[in-house]
Amino acid sequence: MTDRLENMALVMPGLLLLGLAFILPVLQMLVLSVSGPDGFTLEHFTRFLSDSYYLGILWRTVRLSALITLITALIGFPLAYIMAKSGPRLRLWLTLIVILPLMTSVVIRTFGWIVLLGRSGMIPSMLRDLGLVGRSFSIIQTESAIVIGMVQVLLPFMTLSVLGVVMSIDGRLEEAARTMGCSFMKTIRTVVLPLSLPGIVAGGLLVFTLSASSFVTPSLLGGSRIQVLAGSIYNAVTQTLEWEFAAAQAVILFVGVALVLVPYLSVAGRRNG
Amino acid sequence: MVSGTPIWARYFAVIFIVCTALFLLAPLFVVMGVSVSESQFISFPPQGFTLHWYEKVLSSDAYVSAAWTSLWIALTVTIAASLIGGAAAIALNRRSLPASGLMSAALLSPLVLPTIIYAIGMLLLWSAIFGPISPLALAIGHTVIALPYVVRTCLAVLADTDPFLEEAARTMGAGRLQRLAFVVLPQIKPGLLAGGFFAFNISFDEAVLSLFLRKPGLTTLPVQIYGQLEFSPDPSVAAVSTMMIGLTIVLLIIIDRTLGLGKIASV
Repeated sequence: MTDRLENMALVMPGLLLLGLAFILPVLQMLVLSVSGPDGFTLEHFTRFLSDSYYLGILWRTVRLSALITLITALIGFPLAYIMAKSGPRLRLWLTLIVILPLMTSVVIRTFGWIVLLGRSGMIPSMLRDLGLVGRSFSIIQTESAIVIGMVQVLLPFMTLSVLGVVMSIDGRLEEAARTMGCSFMKTIRTVVLPLSLPGIVAGGLLVFTLSASSFVTPSLLGGSRIQVLAGSIYNAVTQTLEWEFAAAQAVILFVGVALVLVPYLSVAGRRNG
Repeated sequence: MVSGTPIWARYFAVIFIVCTALFLLAPLFVVMGVSVSESQFISFPPQGFTLHWYEKVLSSDAYVSAAWTSLWIALTVTIAASLIGGAAAIALNRRSLPASGLMSAALLSPLVLPTIIYAIGMLLLWSAIFGPISPLALAIGHTVIALPYVVRTCLAVLADTDPFLEEAARTMGAGRLQRLAFVVLPQIKPGLLAGGFFAFNISFDEAVLSLFLRKPGLTTLPVQIYGQLEFSPDPSVAAVSTMMIGLTIVLLIIIDRTLGLGKIASV
């Protein structure tokens, strides 16, 4: 047995699993999305793209995902910067605080938000008691609830992505900028932020795709009236049992995600390579 | 902090960290609080203290059987993903295969494809070939999405090891299997352990594939919880959720001990 044969034998189970149980299913989805009773058809796509209800779902998905991405970046950048600048002990604790929610089931985290944001939940009651909102105020089953829940679910991805880049910035660059008379904020704006941009962009693209493709949090917090694309796919599979239509919607999501992922992979690849 | 950080920035940093930590941990704390509340309804802050809901979970057939299903699938996934991913990482680390860059990209690709797209593909393919969904379909699906984590942690661990140890063993007359068992396996062990625990956690907590690949009698814990949340849950959902959070914390501590959390965050 040669070395190459040994290496092939080691890597083969993984490649086989991937080919049969990952690539093949995705191909099957692509095929089914254009199948009708009489063979090839684009009717599932035209049905989606010509119905204002579904186009509204698509637009809401894009709009909410963009908003969620923006908010995670606004929180994630300062969080990662502070983590990078803190001592190793504090950094370990902060890393734990970021990773623990990440590793907890998304169903459980959403449950927590249902309790907090629900009609008689703590946050609406607090706002009502403070007199900031009216009696009939409610957050759950609105787009705001989806955004709050999704930001919490996706913030760890953004933070870890930015942290990797911020940690690698040479601290002497900041010191040099300060010595040359830059204020603290100006140093952040003209030195740290531009150098962290690859991490923010990579994290942003990742958060956007994850946000556009999730349905557990949106459907539990937004209710059935506020539908997003992934929720619509889930409904077509489990409730109306229109699998071809579900596949077509998944292909539309796939294309959208691919448009975002190609730049992500090139940004992430440049960073690692 | 860099010397010369203005005092207001330090105050801002402290307040910001406290608020963000609260925001990130709030849903978990709330769930834990609800699980010990005496109230019949889900309410926070909790009223009183009781372990009644935990008893209810442990004596509920639906939860216990869902827990067994989740456990069996997660154990199968852990073993399969560790074996397949570990072996692939060993081969990829040697960098002697043609197109090894392409191969590692392929093995990591399930990370970037949204799970919902994969889930619908898996449902369609399995139904077309084998008919009804079985636990095996779910275990295979979870193995595919857990595989990249094992490959990544193993590659990260192997990158720090001495490649010449294996060469030395070869010179001293060790055979292929001896080298794999006595040189490479001890080298890759921390990565394999951490990756295995990751795989367990991913499978045990995964909801999307499990929601698509479900049928009566094949309900995992996250699916059971999801189903309860869609209707009118009582605090026993919080009790079972708290147990799952506890398990995640235990797994995190183990991963920290075997590989280090700082390292996990950077891979």
